[in-house]
Amino acid sequence: MKESTLQLINYVMILVLLVTLALHLAMQAFLGVSGYADALSYQTALSRYRDALSVSLLTILLIAATYHGLFGLRNILLEWRPGRRWHGAVTGITLGLAVIMLGWGLRTIVFAFGAV
Amino acid sequence: MSDAIVSVEKAKAPRKDLITTQVKWGFRRPMNLEKLALLAQRVSGVGILAYLFLHIFITGTIVGGPAGVPGGEDVFSGLMGMLFNPIAHIGELLVVVGATFHGINGIRVMLLELTKLVGHPIRPDYPYKTQMLGKGQQSILFTAMIMAGLSTIAGIFILFLGAGA
Repeated sequence: MKESTLQLINYVMILVLLVTLALHLAMQAFLGVSGYADALSYQTALSRYRDALSVSLLTILLIAATYHGLFGLRNILLEWRPGRRWHGAVTGITLGLAVIMLGWGLRTIVFAFGAV
Repeated sequence: MSDAIVSVEKAKAPRKDLITTQVKWGFRRPMNLEKLALLAQRVSGVGILAYLFLHIFITGTIVGGPAGVPGGEDVFSGLMGMLFNPIAHIGELLVVVGATFHGINGIRVMLLELTKLVGHPIRPDYPYKTQMLGKGQQSILFTAMIMAGLSTIAGIFILFLGAGA
């Protein structure tokens, strides 16, 4: 895929991230949670995975944050050294990390939502 | 006709470690606010990514996994208990501050790339002036700093003074 296309996707992900992260933090801080300690309790955390709207938000946030974060890391690493092999290695490592992060995050969402 | 001299020596890429290269570049003279903002953007970005990685795996313990992957109420509550200490709170505070700065400064960078925020070029007349950070950019960058400062205060109140308990 062309770098310009990847960057364009990154811009979209940034906008998605700004909205979903604000909502995610608001849900932890003051929407339906009475305090910081309460936000960390097992029941509160599990309840977030049992509401369809919250689960959708978490899924979108996970995808956007993983893409934006790893795309940024890839750019920093690509600036460090020139060369095709390095380019390929960095892309491979970031793709691998993306699979791990998305796989584990989605596993949590699916299992917790399925345990309703 | 004289022969052309062609260098066949391979260009040597400097091989210093990534952090040293970035820090040296950030603080090399002439220093300016834009360069420091980019350095702060990168440092906060990498920090948030490391936090995200941990966050995904820690919240993953909310459910037990197949093949003996630990999880469930006991594991999750135990982990949360372990993380409820001042050192972890300092880490959380850094994440909040870093995310606030990264988000607002990121909007500046995006506007810089997609709009005319960068400003118009001027003719380089002597004495030369460094053309960096127009008023629009400065406003956003200072907003990012102020918001990061405010989020630090809010974070201290919630995490250390029990305002959110």
